[in-house]
This record gives sequence, structure tokens and C-alpha cells, in this order.
Amino acid sequence: MPHQVALTIAAQVAQGHTEKLQQLLEDLGGRPEALPFGQIANLHFARLFVLPQTQDLSGAPIPATLILLSDVDSPVAAFLDALIDDFGTTLDQILGHCDGYPTGDALTKDARLAFLRSRIIPVATAYVNRVGRSAQQIKQEAELRGAIEDYLDRSGHDWSGRSAIEIHSAIKNFVFNEESLGWARRPAPRPELWWRVKEGVHAILLPLVLILLLPFVFIGLVAWVVLLRLHERSEDPIRDVADPEDLDALAAMEDHAAMNPFTLLGFVKPTRFRRLTLQTVLGLVSYGVRHIYNHGRLTGIGTIHFARWVFIDDKRRMFFASNYDGSRESYMDDFIDKLARGLNAVGSNGLGYPRTRWLILGGARDAEAFKGFLRVHQLPTPIWYSAYPDLSAANIQNNARIRAGLYGHMTPEQAQDWLRRL
Amino acid sequence: MTGPSPQLELEDIQGLAARGYGNLRAASFLLIAVEETAAARRWLGWLADSITPASERPVEQSVNVAFTASGLAKLGLDALVEGGFSPEFVGGMVTPHKRRLLGDVGTSAPEGWVWGGPATPQVDVLVLLYATGAAELETLVALHVARLSGEGMRLVGILETRELDAFEHFGFHDGISQPIIEGLSKTGPWADTLRAGEFILGYPNEYGLYTPRPFVRSSMDPKRLLPVHCTQSGSHDLGRNGSYLVLRQLRQYVHRFWRYMDAATRPEGGADDPVARARLASRLVGRWPSGAPLALAPEADDERLSDANDFGYHGPDQLGYRCPIGSHVRRANPRDSLEPEPGSRKSILVGKRHRILRRGRGYGPRLDMQAALASDEDLHEERGLHFVCLNANIARQFEFVQHSWINDPRFTGLYDDPDPLVGGTTEPERAFTIQGVPLRIRLRGMPEFTSVRGGGYFFLPGLRAIRYLADIGS
Repeated sequence: MPHQVALTIAAQVAQGHTEKLQQLLEDLGGRPEALPFGQIANLHFARLFVLPQTQDLSGAPIPATLILLSDVDSPVAAFLDALIDDFGTTLDQILGHCDGYPTGDALTKDARLAFLRSRIIPVATAYVNRVGRSAQQIKQEAELRGAIEDYLDRSGHDWSGRSAIEIHSAIKNFVFNEESLGWARRPAPRPELWWRVKEGVHAILLPLVLILLLPFVFIGLVAWVVLLRLHERSEDPIRDVADPEDLDALAAMEDHAAMNPFTLLGFVKPTRFRRLTLQTVLGLVSYGVRHIYNHGRLTGIGTIHFARWVFIDDKRRMFFASNYDGSRESYMDDFIDKLARGLNAVGSNGLGYPRTRWLILGGARDAEAFKGFLRVHQLPTPIWYSAYPDLSAANIQNNARIRAGLYGHMTPEQAQDWLRRL
Repeated sequence: MTGPSPQLELEDIQGLAARGYGNLRAASFLLIAVEETAAARRWLGWLADSITPASERPVEQSVNVAFTASGLAKLGLDALVEGGFSPEFVGGMVTPHKRRLLGDVGTSAPEGWVWGGPATPQVDVLVLLYATGAAELETLVALHVARLSGEGMRLVGILETRELDAFEHFGFHDGISQPIIEGLSKTGPWADTLRAGEFILGYPNEYGLYTPRPFVRSSMDPKRLLPVHCTQSGSHDLGRNGSYLVLRQLRQYVHRFWRYMDAATRPEGGADDPVARARLASRLVGRWPSGAPLALAPEADDERLSDANDFGYHGPDQLGYRCPIGSHVRRANPRDSLEPEPGSRKSILVGKRHRILRRGRGYGPRLDMQAALASDEDLHEERGLHFVCLNANIARQFEFVQHSWINDPRFTGLYDDPDPLVGGTTEPERAFTIQGVPLRIRLRGMPEFTSVRGGGYFFLPGLRAIRYLADIGS
């Protein structure tokens, strides 16, 4: 089984093309049938948006950039291939507004592929709700659960007098004899061996290095804390107010499905200290989400499907992008109630973030200031796609457990626990 | 964060925030449009003297007033306010996004509303009138309606209510669970006691913070009618002692409700089963008709528990075998069943940030279960609830509860189950799952038992703010 990759493609928009491109994305966003994302088998989520031209904090220009984000199952090549084949001229229409996109006779599949590949940028940190669960598996397991529910509800079946074991067996029989569910006769595959070995080595490597360097780490930490407090005291948080029109634009794209996209863009505070702190923190977060929070929950939040932090413009700016269940209000409240410290550690290095103390205190705990910060920095995403818009992360997890319960024998207690999932 | 709240200025807070006027059993709500600004201010100046403050417990009648964003603009406030009104209040209830969020689609779509929708006259002001009985109310309403004519105000509609009793139209004891405002005389369990700032602006909320509220520059208040802002110099406090009021007219289909319960519990070709019927209805509600919570009384109604409210779900009923996970009361107030750590104080704390103060009143003639089962549905006869709630933050309180707990078919791990009574959803499947051993019962293709007929977001100002509004431009 594959593992997921947070693919980020950033292409500079050609001079004078920003508005046309934005208009095109909005038009396409209103016509989902023009965007055959659904044909790409290994795609979970995708979004396209434009970062308009702006200036950095020293006044230097930053050109407009088209961003294409996708959460795909490995191999990435299969996704790029499918993207080019399935989108055809629509992809050309979009990318044609970018610098360096081939034209005329040079517009071959290889040239398109080379363009996309050359614009892939690294992701600082990527979170996956459940590492190694493919889009195909998620869709199949939703189908399985639906089929089992239908089977149980079919008239003529009275389950009231039957034991949990009997019902469990009946369901297994049904599934294993159902032609269309042939794939469900075997458990879901695990990620490739080489990949698991690589992850295992990575999991022990970082703590090992830290232990070996302990004296240096300690000295560095003391110096860092002193610098941190100096920065925190001297920085003056700006409190911008969101433009009502921007809020309307965001609202227009929200709550069409069981889940929503969230995209946040901001400047990194323009000091070396803050940039290094941010890189270090994101390094630690990467380790955490890769090896600790990799099976369904991010410190008590079970509603985030995918998330990523990405540096752009030579680390002068950064964006955060996620796919989450429910409404923006519930998402922001989850942040404040359950994830404030972790978000502070990252966010406090961003310009305009509510004031923090000791990196993790304060900040998002000032709920109103924090919500204000998010609103000001949130970007609308004119094109957004989900391969399973009706499934919450909890649903997906439950479906996987339903399937996992089809194999092997169960005690009556286990069978009863399993039946609760239906 | 946990310091004592400042003393509540009860004489400046409208009475509805402190009490539901249970002793004033008759009520009518006037929906009013402002047609001429100067005259409307004169009218408001007159009305200001009769507003009932929270410091008084009225024995004969009560008058409270609230405004929509358009109403405030027509009074000339718009240009004077330094932001601060909540975007939800300003944007209103019927934007395309709010329809999705609140589930106001299909039969609940604002196009079909009898007031507050795009096809009905704009509502600017809401006057809430309460009296001891029908005759007294009639006099009070007549007085207020008479006062409108010739004052640049037009009566758009009157929302009449049914004489107050403890039961809503489906026949269930209602209004049992209410948050208690810290600082008022009534006290109760910790889980239900909330910081005043959750409902009244200008006081610390459950985060220990002040919910944003509107101010005006001091130069715009030369007579110093408004309180001076304690920390922000040069500002006068327009929001202090105010609240946001949400009003929704919810129609209840009582015939449909009981006929569904009857059909779903009647064996094929068999006789009706009154016990199973009442039990199924109670499972949808989460309480028995008396009010006894299923979490405490799983087998049968128990009058002794009719007011029981100090309980949780995690301990007695984590799996929903007693009170289904998707039942109405379990999602409107999940108590201790929320993440993180269900069953803990932490869980309750999360829930405390999403409470509302309910002040609704029923409307339309009573139709009891037997009558509903024996007669045909009369589509012209309407009954339901004028749902009223107060909160300081519409997005975090009312809208959150409506969307994330009531409407969301995926609430706490469910799939296709919106609230069986008042959940609005755009999705085709409407199911209700009754968790059980060995297997759940899943009711599919549930009809809608309620629909939305009107609604709006209002600002319920403090008394000084009302005088200020009446005095703008003079």
C-alpha cells in the first residue's frame, strides 16, 4: 500500500496575467464538471489559488504565484500523469498564465510534466490523519459500510433474537459472498516495507542525535530562551481587522460539504532568530506528526484530514493549508480549546499573531484576537476538491475498523464491540 | 482568568436576559419597520421609559426591545459605530452561506418565510410584550400598536404566542436545561453556571475575555448617555449590558410526528402499540414526556425525574444504549460527552463555550397525541415554537449549536443523522440510529417534523444604549 504525499506546486504567474488567472479559477470553481479530479484515483484533496503580487516587509516586490496543492498517494508520478491526461486543455489554460509554460509545438506531455516537476516545492511539515490509508481504500471502505448497513436494514431480517457472534458471522458471510466486494476478502494492505523501515529509522534517529548532543542542546536552549523573551517583550503585535468583503468571499466557499479547506498566509517575522525558531519548531512538529500523531488524532483533534506548513518566497512568507471536518467556527474553537500551545509555538513566529509568552503561552488563548488573526490571514480557495466530501475523519476511521473486523475470530465481547460501529 | 466577575448592572440590562417571565403567561412579539428616522427616535424615547430592566421582577407586564442591523442603521447609528457589532448580526440570517450553515433549505428556505425572508417586508425593530393573561396582553398590545401609527413606524406583523405552560407541541416537558448566569441570584451546579459575558456584553466570558462589542467615539455622545469605556479612552460603550437575540419561528408538524411514531412501532397489519410509540418518540427527544432524561430513566417515564438536569452522559450511557447519541437533547447540550476526554471537567468546559439562553414561547392551538392520530393533517393550521435565544457571540453560540451539534449528520461519529426534531440538512438521507444490543436500530427516510418559517438576528441593547439611540442627532 502507498503512503500519502503533500504535493505542493508553485508557479510564478506571468506579468499582467493575475486577474485573468483568478477569473479563470473562479469560473472553473463554479463548474466542478470541468475539473475531472474525480478520475484521478490516487488523489485525496486538491486546491488551486493565486497569491497576488505584493511586497515583502522591506518593500521588495514578490510576484504573483499560482499554488496547486494536492494530497496524493504515492507514487507522485501517477498523479502528475493523470493530471495531465485527464485535465487536457483545462490544465494548459490554467498553467498558460504562468511564466515558462511551454507553448505551440513545445507543448508536449513531457514538457508539461517537466514544468510541473520543476515547480514542486518542499513542504516544511505535513500532517496526515492516518498515515498509509489510500484514497481508494477510503472510498472502498465507505462502500463496504454502506453495503453492510443496507444488508442489515433489508426487510425480512430480524436481528433482535440473535447473538452478536451470529450477526457478525452473517455479515461476514454476506460480504465474502458479495461479488462487488471481492477486495474486502482480504485486510487492507500496509505501507511498503522499505517505507516502513525508513520511517522506523527516522523515528529513532532524531532522539538519538539529540541525546548525543545533549550538552550543546542544553546550552543552546538557555541562550534561545533568553533571546526568545527579549523578542517577545519587544515585538508589538499588530491587530488588523478583516475586510467584510473578504469575509464574504470566504463564506461563499464554505460549508458546501462535510468538510472545508483552510488556507492561511502570512509573513514570517523578519528576524533571523524567528526564522530559525520557526524552522526548528516545524522540524519538531514534523517529527511529532510523523511518528506520534500519525493514527487519527492531533492532540485531541480528530477532525483534520490533512494539513501542511509550507515556506515560500525564500522563507519570508509561509502558508498553512488543511482539510477539516465541520464549520470554520468549530475548527477555530478546536484550535483554541485543544491545540493552542502547539499553534502558538509555530504561529508566534508569524507577523500579527497575538502576543505569546514563553513561545507557547498566551497567543491563541486570546480567543478573539486569535480568531481575528485567522480571519485576516485566511485565503479563499476558488478551486477545491475532496475525493470523499461526505465522510468525516471519524467516519473514515470507523469504516476502516469495520473492515478490519471481518477477518479472524472474535469473542462475544469483541463481536459486540464491533457491532457498535454500525 | 478565574477572578470574580464585575457586579452586573441589572438596572441597565433588559429583563429578558435575567428571566423568561414565567409568571407572565401571555406574550406577543411585534415586528416593526422604521419608515421615518426622526419619528422613530421619538417613539423610541417614549418606549425607553417602559422597558423592563433586569433589576425588577415584573408582576403585571413587561416590555423589551431589540433591533436588527437595518433598524440600527435607520436610527442613524451606522456611521457612528467603531466596528464592533458582530459580523453575523450585521450580515443577517439569510445569506447563501447562513442558509447552508443553519440548514435553512428546502421547506425551510427563507423564500417561504412568513417574515424575515427576502419576500417579506424588512423587520427593523422587535418589541417583546408580556402580560399576566390574554386580556391584559390585549390591552398592552393595543397600546403599543396604537403608538406606532403616525410615528414613522409600521407594524409588519405580530407573532402571537400560546399561553405559557411547561410542554411543547409534541407533548414533551420543555425548557428544563438552562444555563445560569453567574452574578444573578439563582445558583446551580458548576456545569450549568456560566460567566455573565457569555450572554451579556461588557463582562468576562468563559475564556475570561470580553466578547467584541460596539463603541462610539466620545464626541458622538456629548450628553454622556452611554457608559465610558473603562480601558479604551475616547470611547463610549454602546454594547455594554446588551446581548444578541436570535428569533426563529419553528413550525411543528404534530400529526406527522405522531403518525410516524405510530407507523414505525406498529407490527405489520397489527394493532398500535402505545408504549413502544411513546418510547420511540422519547428516544428522538432524549427525555420522556414528563421531562425525565433517558440517561437516568432508560426503561420508562419517571415523574420524579421530570426536572432532573444535573447529570452527564459519559458515566451512565457512554454508548447511547439508554439515550441515543443523536437524540435532540443529547446534541443540543452534550454535557460531558465532548472531546477531549469525555466524562471530564475539560469536556464540560468545552461545552460551556456553546450554551444559549432560551426564551422561546409556543404558538398555535394545542393538538395532543390522540387528536393527532385521530384526525387528518390540516395544512392551514399552524403551530410551533417562536424560538428565542440570547447569546453574546452568535457564531460561537447559536450558530455553532445549530450547525455543529444539531444539523451535522456526522455529529460525534454518526453518518446520516441530523437532529431528528430540528436538524436541517441538504443531504438526501435522513436517518436516526438507536444504539442497542446486539445491534442498533436504524430508522431511514425520516420525515422532517419541523420547518423554519421566519427568523432574524437582533441586538438587545442596554437601557442607556436605548436612550442613546433615541437621542441620536438631537
